[in-house]
Amino acid sequence: MDVDQLKDISDRSYRIAVNKKNALEKARSSMILAYSGHLFQANAETINLVQVLKNKLKKFVILDSNHNPMMVEDPEELLERLITKQQEALNIYHQSYAESISKG
Amino acid sequence: MMKGVLLYCFNTESYRYDKIAAKTIPLLRRNLGLEITVVTNDETRVHLPEQEGVNYMVITNQTGNYINQKSWHNLDRHRAYELSPYEKTILLDIDYFCYSDYLLTLSNTDQDFMVHDKVHDVTGHDSYKFARNSMVPMVWATVIIFKKTPRTKAIFDMVKYVKERYSYFCDLYRVDFKNFRNDYAFAIALHQIGGFKGYETIPNRLPTLPAAAKITEVSATHVSWNHQGRHGKISSNDVHVIDKGVADV
Repeated sequence: MDVDQLKDISDRSYRIAVNKKNALEKARSSMILAYSGHLFQANAETINLVQVLKNKLKKFVILDSNHNPMMVEDPEELLERLITKQQEALNIYHQSYAESISKG
Repeated sequence: MMKGVLLYCFNTESYRYDKIAAKTIPLLRRNLGLEITVVTNDETRVHLPEQEGVNYMVITNQTGNYINQKSWHNLDRHRAYELSPYEKTILLDIDYFCYSDYLLTLSNTDQDFMVHDKVHDVTGHDSYKFARNSMVPMVWATVIIFKKTPRTKAIFDMVKYVKERYSYFCDLYRVDFKNFRNDYAFAIALHQIGGFKGYETIPNRLPTLPAAAKITEVSATHVSWNHQGRHGKISSNDVHVIDKGVADV
């Protein structure tokens, strides 16, 4: 390969990396859920926590994104909304990622 | 009115902020669907067209601040509390390009004051590193979501207090940027009003295109730029654009 080809590969890698990073940031923003006056990140940690606590307790307290406590009165509803929010965001991320790889 | 957007728009000798407003206001109307109030002055008002859902509030703005030897009319931000007609206000820089409803999500909380304390450089260069530029972590006054409460009033009053003694507070907190910046004024005010302990923040990072990224296109769905010979595009995602050249794109 000549240096121009190597540079093209480098540029393509750069574009993919930047697009991936921006798409991931966008997904993280899209995963923010407002629920009962609190903000939560609908990520794997929150979803797993709510799922585990729901299996053990009828209602429980969790911390929001600013470490303020909130009593969860309806765990089923919260879990449903967290999963919906997370999957919406990740589906868009998945699509952006695939486009970024294919276009370069 | 329960909830709305508050913007500041003052043209200077160097920059036509009304042209930036002409790009950002339709995006805000489309993606947030909220009423907008634009705080402006007589000179700028003549360039701002009447639009449905947009109110104008003309004030005599304070002048005398500069950035890179150019006028910078940023001295009235602390008045947002008194000027806002809304119970809950989404206060934005005029160069905030809104491509999603994510600000609505942030505004649906009980928290009375929120601001970004982290930034994401969309060009991938991580060009914002201010940890060594002051003894207080900087916040980004680009997006401030506040509810009218006594505590919030105290924060804005404190910003005014800091502004009037800015050089003193710059020395106290060893802030490197000696010209007045709302980012530091709010950071200092939050530090003081928060009992020197902490405050609530917006949980994600503020997507920002730095000044070195020259904007090449703005559409209803995306912003494109050129940064050091490399082209980039961000779609369907809010972004704070620093390049004032965006006014003429």
